[in-house]
Amino acid sequence: MSALLEIKGFTNASLEWSAWLDKVDLASATPEQLAVLEESHPKAKVSDYYLFLVHQPEILRQRSTAFNAIMYAPGGLSRAERELASTVVSRINGCVYCASVHAQRFEQMAKRNDVIAQVFDDPHTAGTTDRERAIAAFSVELTAAPDQVTADSIARLHAVGLSDDEILDLMHSVAIFAWANRLMLNLGEPVFPG
Amino acid sequence: MTLSIAPGSGADLVDELAGLDPGSPMHQVRHRRDKVALATQGSYDALFDPGLPGLSLVERLLVALYACRLTPAAALAGHYRDRARAAGADAAALAAVEEGDPPELADPRLRAMLCFTRALILSPIDADRALLGTLPAAGISTPAIVTLAQLIAFLSYQTRLVAGLGAMRAARAAIGPETSP
Repeated sequence: MSALLEIKGFTNASLEWSAWLDKVDLASATPEQLAVLEESHPKAKVSDYYLFLVHQPEILRQRSTAFNAIMYAPGGLSRAERELASTVVSRINGCVYCASVHAQRFEQMAKRNDVIAQVFDDPHTAGTTDRERAIAAFSVELTAAPDQVTADSIARLHAVGLSDDEILDLMHSVAIFAWANRLMLNLGEPVFPG
Repeated sequence: MTLSIAPGSGADLVDELAGLDPGSPMHQVRHRRDKVALATQGSYDALFDPGLPGLSLVERLLVALYACRLTPAAALAGHYRDRARAAGADAAALAAVEEGDPPELADPRLRAMLCFTRALILSPIDADRALLGTLPAAGISTPAIVTLAQLIAFLSYQTRLVAGLGAMRAARAAIGPETSP
């Protein structure tokens, strides 16, 4: 459907992910582990990521609840803009796997990938409109230097038309990828198509 | 889907540290996404459950304090410092985590956990398979490694949430007369 992007080691191609340590074997999973897998993601039972994290089912349950509520809840910041923020964070942190997944989701919602190509090239200047540039810049700021975020940072988002409800969704989308990137980067690695 | 903590059951750490008083406009904004707030508090409760096997509560609190020192996130560091002291953390370990250099700690298990913490907080792109391998080599089980990684990754989220909400509260105070004291 869309043009393949391969820019500075980042791509919008579909990748797999492989865990570096032993996963939970479905055949010996507890009822709680199976229930959490089913709540977490439609493909969790065949995903290395979920099968590894379900070693601690209650922690995974809470994480998945937060993640799904942040990325998929109706209203507030558009889902495409949440995906844009997640892609910027993943680009800053160097998470090639997360960047590929959320680049694809942005494209599914927005029916374009021009801004994704910009994010892969240089997230600090990315954005096709003032609003996108402000969203990307805030995502960089909260990712790279959370202690430097101030009322002025919020004022720059108000200035391009974001409401407080939208800013909350943006902040959640950035923060949850500080979490997600560290799991994907540090517990396994992306597998590129043959 | 059911949550393991009862809605409205009590304190919310992020509200407290970001200065969101119940009934204030910013508290109302945040709690319009109450499912996120509940799962955030629920994650904290699960990660610091005293009964969770694998890593001791003191070990988890020392990791949290070190992560907040490195980020830096002063208010959260204060919270985890108080909890680590109350949980009986060893003075030498506390000093190393607060001000010193954890790689010089004598305890190889705590040393491995804190070196992993430093890498994930400061430069997750550089934390590779070899670094992960130092944890089983220090005698830490796979389920305990999952706890440790989720804990550090959660702290990366929690520190940004508190910082961002604090900035939103400050922005409201600057522009909204209805939020003046």
